[in-house]
Amino acid sequence: MEILFKINNKDIPKINTTILHTSRSNYNVDMLEFINNNCEVIIKTSRTDINDIPLKILDSYNCLELAKKDELTNNDEIKINILKSLCSEKEVIVFYDILNYIDNELKDKLIKELIKQNKTIINYTTEIEETLYLDYLIIVHENKVIMEGQTKEVLNEEKIIKKLGFNMPLITELSSGLKYYGVVNKKYYDIESLVEDLWK
Amino acid sequence: MEVANIIGKTEPNKIYGLMGNINLTTNNSNIGIVRGGMFSNTTKDFLNSSKSLNALKLVMLDDSILNKKGTELSNGEIKAVSLAKELIANKEIIVLDYFEKELNNREKENYKRLLKKLSQDFNKTIIIYTNDLTFLWDICEEIIYVDKDSVINTYQKNDYFKLVKLVDKPIISNFIEKIRAKGIKIEDYKDIKDLLKGVYRIKEKEYNNEISN
Repeated sequence: MEILFKINNKDIPKINTTILHTSRSNYNVDMLEFINNNCEVIIKTSRTDINDIPLKILDSYNCLELAKKDELTNNDEIKINILKSLCSEKEVIVFYDILNYIDNELKDKLIKELIKQNKTIINYTTEIEETLYLDYLIIVHENKVIMEGQTKEVLNEEKIIKKLGFNMPLITELSSGLKYYGVVNKKYYDIESLVEDLWK
Repeated sequence: MEVANIIGKTEPNKIYGLMGNINLTTNNSNIGIVRGGMFSNTTKDFLNSSKSLNALKLVMLDDSILNKKGTELSNGEIKAVSLAKELIANKEIIVLDYFEKELNNREKENYKRLLKKLSQDFNKTIIIYTNDLTFLWDICEEIIYVDKDSVINTYQKNDYFKLVKLVDKPIISNFIEKIRAKGIKIEDYKDIKDLLKGVYRIKEKEYNNEISN
């Protein structure tokens, strides 16, 4: 497995990975400079020029009016930073504590499109719901790796995840409850499947 | 947007939500905006006050943090220190600007408790600006929705579900919408435990109807 880079001495392999961290991790600027060499790093403080984003992409993500705005808000700028990932030539996109600033609908669309483009995505986040987007999950607390593995297998370790202060993803928690009452017979990880199976 | 423009709609001892796409600024000396940004000097120098220890205690930090530089602190500690700095300034109105980002669920709940304490025991007006309706809907008396430089509407507690159409749809609301798309009648819920009971009741009724038919 090709190793992309290290985050706090942990090898990060070249597969779609969520790095779920508590706020006890450290924002380490040096780490991000190391990543920059071979990856597109998208953080809040990136400075992307909206003119670098093709109009087609702005249109597809309802951002055309941003090009006409006199003054962009912080949220507008974050959105433009995120859209940069769709026109990057680099093979790996690293999102660093940024995806939870945009709507869920846009997030869904963006991740699907990046995967279609064969990009490798590394998503550094504190949001448990975002873990469901990518196949591999690494959980970090106080700069140490607590657990890693295929996302659904790691999410089975409910006790540890809750001890670290995360909830389970909503659909997984809900389906666990419904399983307990015999309404369904397994855990679910996406809304559509659960709704389909409950009301065929 | 100048925060003072919306203060006319707020009262002390209460927590308000603020949603929309604006930049928050203020020239009003009674308003403090907390963003939780990095600082490069030591915590002691950054806070620069005889009240530092008391403020740090409120945000659940102790004096061990005073000699550390901002670059040595964790993300959560940086946020807590920036809130402590605002508490030292002791303004009547505290605005949190996308403050709960980069915190996990338990950390967010801890801050909700602290914000309640600040509004009730310390008579502050708290305004929470965010795109996350689920962070606001169980803690805010009212949610103010703004666009560009004006207040579009204010929403009371029993109307929060109307906001779902305007802002980022919470996952729980998305799930309920998909159920309704199947022609099933179900209430709006904020809490997963209530949703679980609701779904269970619907399925139980369906099952009983099947049995009797």
